[in-house]
Amino acid sequence: MAVKPFSNDWADQFKDQINSSAVYKQTGKGWKWTVGMVVEAEPDKHFPDSRGVVMDLFEGEARGIKIGSAADAQRCDFVITAPYTRWKQVAQKELDPTKGMLQGKLKLKGDLPTIVRYTKATQEVVECSTRVPVEWPDEK
Amino acid sequence: MLGGLIEANVEGRPEKRKDFDRFAARVGIWVTDIDEGVTLDFKRGSLVVHNGLAPKRDITIRAEAETVMTLSNLRIGLFGMPVYYDETGRSVALKLLQGKLKIDGLLGNIATVNTVTRIFSVAGEPEKPAA
Repeated sequence: MAVKPFSNDWADQFKDQINSSAVYKQTGKGWKWTVGMVVEAEPDKHFPDSRGVVMDLFEGEARGIKIGSAADAQRCDFVITAPYTRWKQVAQKELDPTKGMLQGKLKLKGDLPTIVRYTKATQEVVECSTRVPVEWPDEK
Repeated sequence: MLGGLIEANVEGRPEKRKDFDRFAARVGIWVTDIDEGVTLDFKRGSLVVHNGLAPKRDITIRAEAETVMTLSNLRIGLFGMPVYYDETGRSVALKLLQGKLKIDGLLGNIATVNTVTRIFSVAGEPEKPAA
């Protein structure tokens, strides 16, 4: 069943997708930092308030994915920030996260060498997010 | 992002700082699948990043975004040479052979390519918390 993006239901399904990914289990080995996704508000797209997704990823496993405020996400070790529409493009595979980061469309804060070392894991996390069926508020 | 990566690498690793402080070259990187690129102007201890390809480049690397990231994951082996016999190295070598990774000016600038690779490489980095 389709869920609202960046909602608690979405977070639960996203976590399940990550934990059922053999690719992430392998490529995420060694990763032990929190990742925050800041989804910036776009009221004209029916996404009125910024939101934060706090991802506790550890050694190829998602220990927890919680929805909170943008400030919650900004406290993570790595923070990726983009407006709602960009995240939607990522979730719909219209924007590759590696290209998005190189182009500055997805703004990354954190130790760059570490995240570059885990490019494949990052790509797989994004791939997992695309497997969650979503009902986009601007498409209603 | 590429400038930030070099900055973080040089700050965190004394051996890269040594390379960086001695290195003078103009290196273009063109990311073919986004049709964007930068020129990294290394000037012995400083780096100027230009948007797009500036003239008088010593070498120009042309590859897709994923390959550029893979280049950063090349391990550095004995005598500071990039390792081309492990999985990452073989995939880079294959892309070179297939023409999916092109390095203009490679002939005559192999030392420059190796130094850039060393400065870029994040493989084998000591783990550290995010900045």
